[in-house]
Amino acid sequence: MDLFNPYNLQVITFIVLNGILAISIYITLATGQLSLGHAGFMSIGAYVASILTKQADVPLIFALLLGGLIAGVIALLIGAPTLKLHGLYLAIATLGFGEVVRVIFLNMEITNGALGITGLKSIGSTLYDWLKVTGLTGDSFGLSVLQMKAVLTLLFLLLLFGLVLFLTLRLHRSRIGRAFEAIKADETAAKAMGLPVAYYKMLAFIIGAVLAGFCGGLFAHITTTITPDDFNYHKVVEILSFAVIGGSEIVWGPLFGAFILTTLPEVLRVLAEYKMIMYGAIMVLVMAFRPHGLIGTDTFAKLFDRRRKQAARQAEEGM
Amino acid sequence: MLEIRDVSTSYGQIKAIRSISLDVPQGKIVALIGANGAGKTTTMKTITGLLVPDSGTIHFEGRRVDGLKPHQLVKAGLALVPEGRAILGQMTVQENLEMGAFQRNDTAGIREDMEKMMSWFPILKERLNQLGGTLSGGQQQMLAIARALMSRPKLLLLDEPSMGLAPIVVSDIFKTIQEINREGTTVLIVEQNVKQALKIADYGYVLEAGQIVLSGTGQELLANERVKEAYLGGRKVQ
Repeated sequence: MDLFNPYNLQVITFIVLNGILAISIYITLATGQLSLGHAGFMSIGAYVASILTKQADVPLIFALLLGGLIAGVIALLIGAPTLKLHGLYLAIATLGFGEVVRVIFLNMEITNGALGITGLKSIGSTLYDWLKVTGLTGDSFGLSVLQMKAVLTLLFLLLLFGLVLFLTLRLHRSRIGRAFEAIKADETAAKAMGLPVAYYKMLAFIIGAVLAGFCGGLFAHITTTITPDDFNYHKVVEILSFAVIGGSEIVWGPLFGAFILTTLPEVLRVLAEYKMIMYGAIMVLVMAFRPHGLIGTDTFAKLFDRRRKQAARQAEEGM
Repeated sequence: MLEIRDVSTSYGQIKAIRSISLDVPQGKIVALIGANGAGKTTTMKTITGLLVPDSGTIHFEGRRVDGLKPHQLVKAGLALVPEGRAILGQMTVQENLEMGAFQRNDTAGIREDMEKMMSWFPILKERLNQLGGTLSGGQQQMLAIARALMSRPKLLLLDEPSMGLAPIVVSDIFKTIQEINREGTTVLIVEQNVKQALKIADYGYVLEAGQIVLSGTGQELLANERVKEAYLGGRKVQ
């Protein structure tokens, strides 16, 4: 079956991974903060998790969680002085942070410099080993070992993605979500209403960093190889584009952006050397016609409005 | 209740207010009037902690409050209705009101105050599920005042509540402010609409170029030649 081709499965896996990254940038943007440090946090998570699994034989799950956690701690330290900055100044400061992290990893011995860390045990292999304990193998499902590993990786990521999305939607409806929304809409008003604005901005920054760090660990254990250049300026732009193209008003925006931007290069592969031209043209067109991104609050408002009207009509008919 | 002594605040090099002293006694309405750029909003922002003064002291109910964070001041019982209303346009009227009670967790008390706001501002009750951004200017001002009251303040600070509103709406707003005051909330109001503000004020201060140049009861100031000439459109009697 073509769907179970490991290549296709890997593309879908990356869509899901980028989905989690999109949520991470969305949460930071939800308080109106433009942070370009996400690649930096991602690399911290990636290196921490990789070193833990490779050198210290820490179980994968714990290594991933620790990677996210340490990215969060670093975010706390970085956030204290930088979150006082607004708009572009915050963007510049966090961009600088990302570059500093990259250069540090490039020069450290434990990270193996520019060569990076290779030969990591992939998520697929780890999960397959667990599966073998239960007596099941790829043959039980009529799949090759390679396919089975890819399927397991994808299922694992889908599970995590579902969990993160569920928590994000819950967060949005909570007291914290309301506070984020108020701060994004009008910081002075939020202060006047008695919101501890600095606290909530820091919270959003840290949640974003933890998720990015977690994604870093996942990324490392999907590709099994990381170098500092995987997390350079281009990665930041890529993550940010999810929100720019998809829209950052509601969580579905960046998710849609991640989906589009991850599939597009694969779909456009048929165009061969014209691929990047088309990619750029599509970006420009989106910005020209939907400057706030493809999906905004209005997209769903219209949909719900129709549904509400339908419900009202049904209620009337029922009476 | 609120005592401000020799407070100066600046934006970088520019001193916006210089050595201001004023008192807001419990249960009164005090008006701070002045032209554009006189430093009225700066004074309000300094009182509510949005700006930090360079020098001077602010005492609220006997406790020193200058240098405290805005959210700490809201907790202490100060609530600001910011200039230009600052309604959260993407939230409903109800959500806006709930945000005003952000620091409280007495659910019963919040519900009670919500009912109170509905009876004081019937227009908000009709529009409870409408987005804040779809209200008219006057309705938004009502919502902003109601939202500030949701924190159960002892002192309500209003920054130019009449800004951009039709005269008939303005008099409604001022009537409401008087009612709120009668219910026991002390009010400090900043206004360019000098006549309306002084009419309802027990005491007034005139701010010019960052300094207080005159003060007196509302009636005294209304009758004052200098005030008449500068703000009420009266001609100098030669």
